[in-house]
Amino acid sequence: MKQILLITDGCSNVGVSPVVAAAHAKAEGIAVNIVGVLDYGDVGELGAAEIEEIARAGGGLSRLVNTRQLSQTVQMITRKTAMQSIQLAVQKELKNVLGNGSIEALPPDKRSEVVRVIDELGETTKLQVALLIDASASMKPKLRAVEEAIHDLMLSLQARQGGSEIAVFHFPSSKYGDDCMMDLDWTDNLSGVSSLFPKLQMNGTTPTGPAIMHVIDFYRRGDYGRKSRDETDGMMSDYVV
Amino acid sequence: MTTSFKINLRRGMAVTGKWKRNRYQVERLLGEGANGKVYLVQRDRSWYAMKVGADAVDLQSEINVLQALAKQEKPGGRSRQDTLPGGANGEPFLIDVDDLYGPDGREYSFYIMRYVRGVTLSEYLSQNGKEWFPLVGLNLLNKLAALHSKGWVFGDLKVENVLVADYGYVELVDYGGATAAGRGIRQFTEIYDRGYWNAGSRSADAKYDLFSFGVLCLQLLEPKRLQQLTTGLPQNRSIEELLQLSKENETLKPVSEWLHRALTGDFWDAAEGAEAWRLLMHRRQLRRRSDTPGWLKGLAAVSAVLLGVSVYWLLRGGL
Repeated sequence: MKQILLITDGCSNVGVSPVVAAAHAKAEGIAVNIVGVLDYGDVGELGAAEIEEIARAGGGLSRLVNTRQLSQTVQMITRKTAMQSIQLAVQKELKNVLGNGSIEALPPDKRSEVVRVIDELGETTKLQVALLIDASASMKPKLRAVEEAIHDLMLSLQARQGGSEIAVFHFPSSKYGDDCMMDLDWTDNLSGVSSLFPKLQMNGTTPTGPAIMHVIDFYRRGDYGRKSRDETDGMMSDYVV
Repeated sequence: MTTSFKINLRRGMAVTGKWKRNRYQVERLLGEGANGKVYLVQRDRSWYAMKVGADAVDLQSEINVLQALAKQEKPGGRSRQDTLPGGANGEPFLIDVDDLYGPDGREYSFYIMRYVRGVTLSEYLSQNGKEWFPLVGLNLLNKLAALHSKGWVFGDLKVENVLVADYGYVELVDYGGATAAGRGIRQFTEIYDRGYWNAGSRSADAKYDLFSFGVLCLQLLEPKRLQQLTTGLPQNRSIEELLQLSKENETLKPVSEWLHRALTGDFWDAAEGAEAWRLLMHRRQLRRRSDTPGWLKGLAAVSAVLLGVSVYWLLRGGL
């Protein structure tokens, strides 16, 4: 299971539309979740609508919260979407077998069996979550809460029986011309990671769409790297952002 | 948090199960959990609690836990009073599972459970007095112990999920967080969570429930100060802060050593915790008994002497 979790507080304003980018992600088998962080100002009607649409296009969920609810929301939304992905896959299987797509339509005892399988897979399937953090100027006061939420998410993922990894990106990159920058490569452990976003230089643009495309690319290369690692003699693809 | 869950059953409404055709009459809303709403309903002049789910799969997942527990209950047929979940009189906890058509025409799944005529823990203590706290605490630990002995962890233990009926009888409600040992806790509430206080993992083990039990004690008796602790920096949250609260509270002081063990994971499971809690209560009662006033002791001594003298006289007279 692959997910992108976008944490933002506003509208994208450069490059490809984030809705298009999210649809790309979905096509690659990556679900896109979004949490909009609201306090200190407002995402506005436009922002709220965009956030909802990105999630819809990306086959994920969206929530608008304040910083106090961030940790709880991030772990909950990740879990829910993971279960949803499993559910969709199981539902697809059911369609072939029963000619009936919906789990809800099954009688209670059959449903019970199916849900048991969903729960089992949800707990044991490998899960990767790429966190994509909006680090534009207005997000600055919220980054501490974001970091806390990332640590909290790691804690929840570590409790799963299946392997779980996270990677962290922020956008825009402080380097001119880059849409997105990696802060942390795939890891299943955050102990020892004290500060994820040291000395960010904020600039005005919010290239949400290009940043999502960047992370999709990272996923793609990562898969490629893994495959070639299995086939060749353990050569890692040294992907540097 | 759940979007688009607006089912609203009104008083007097009749609901018929789609599969088993059982009819229920809605009386009123009892409460709302993470996975759905709970109503008081009536069937054949008996009262039940009906949980209507926002999401059929989420609710089924909860039902599966209840069914697994019920199945574990049957073999052997030992009827310990605190086996779970369920009644002292052997009444099953889970009674019916079905779907219904809501007033909006959509289908919702529901399950019927035993209705516990109780109030929440905090209401119980404010209505009946803090002197019930040790007993209610013990009953709750026994409930958890029964779960643990079956390989389950309750997970989302909090004040709202504990109902207390007359004479401190305790029932756990909302099994949405119940998790098989070794898995990731399915549902939790931040301030009761071990991970939130930087005190351990979010994996389901019996110690997880005992940690939540410790926070629950503080939530019952020091709610305001506990709330204050959550406003600090996340990296500063610690067990020490919680323990400090317990030491400064009159009711919790006697159990502060116990709380220390619960919060640090020193008890293996709730059975061990309950045993230590019981001993603590017992010892306190013994101490109180030795507090008998001096004049009473004197009186007792005098009557003992008088008895001795009269026995002596009797024996002497008889000889």
